[in-house]
Amino acid sequence: MSDTNRTIEKLLDDYMEALRDGCLPTFLKSLSRQEARLIEDSEEFWEAAQMARVLNGAGFADQAVTPNVGLFISRVDAEIGSRLKKTTPLPRSKRGTGARHATKTIR
Amino acid sequence: MDRRLRSALKGLTDPDVERRRRAMERFVRATFETFLRYLYRYLGNEVDCEDVLEDVYADIWENPAHLRNIGNERHLLRTVYLYYMRNYLREIYRRRNRHLHLSQKGLQRLVSPDLGILEMMSEAELREALHRMLNKLKARERRAIELWMEGMSNRAIANELKTTVDAVKMLKFRTILKLKKLMVDYCPKN
Repeated sequence: MSDTNRTIEKLLDDYMEALRDGCLPTFLKSLSRQEARLIEDSEEFWEAAQMARVLNGAGFADQAVTPNVGLFISRVDAEIGSRLKKTTPLPRSKRGTGARHATKTIR
Repeated sequence: MDRRLRSALKGLTDPDVERRRRAMERFVRATFETFLRYLYRYLGNEVDCEDVLEDVYADIWENPAHLRNIGNERHLLRTVYLYYMRNYLREIYRRRNRHLHLSQKGLQRLVSPDLGILEMMSEAELREALHRMLNKLKARERRAIELWMEGMSNRAIANELKTTVDAVKMLKFRTILKLKKLMVDYCPKN
């Protein structure tokens, strides 16, 4: 991806490669100002990119299936737990208590 | 829709927190593979897919209102994409987009596009349509796409087709546009 003046078919090809290899950020970083403008103005690119995503899903999504769903569920559960902690207000006794006030006075 | 998935969906709106948590576990088991495959289209690597999915499931747990009247799996996938996944797909590369030349709008269109007719199809439907439409291509065009889907590089494809790398890139581009048109024409009829 070192070429900075790629044509639209080369840009699509690099996008497809990046999708297949799972390194989309590298493709995004490789775009020069001119190439970015070329992509944004090209309806053909967007049409082809949509089809490229479909092909990527049909051809390579099998590689992505992680067998350990249990491990993933524990990640989701931890995330839910942390969100629960954030939304649940602290019990009154733990907020401003007399004990804390007393410490302040001692100081 | 699968009975387990239907019961998990029902459980997601239970007022009791613990029951909702258990329903979420069943929901993740029933949908993880489908969602991961769907996200893989856009991201192409499982690490990013899992990161996005983790937040998506937590969001669903927090606010399952959009999943109340789900009738079938296609409807579920569409709703989850529109209300939960899309935001995170937009987010995942936005932070890294500070020094990119592509505009935020262009980036969004690339990583979290609007749902087109092809995205609305289930995986089985897509595979069938793709199989049929690949057969409508010329032998050379079909071979180029099939070789790419087997994981071959452009140079390897060029060697196989006895042509140059640039010619392969052009052939793939034209063939993909042709394939897209064929797929779109095929979908409304079916």
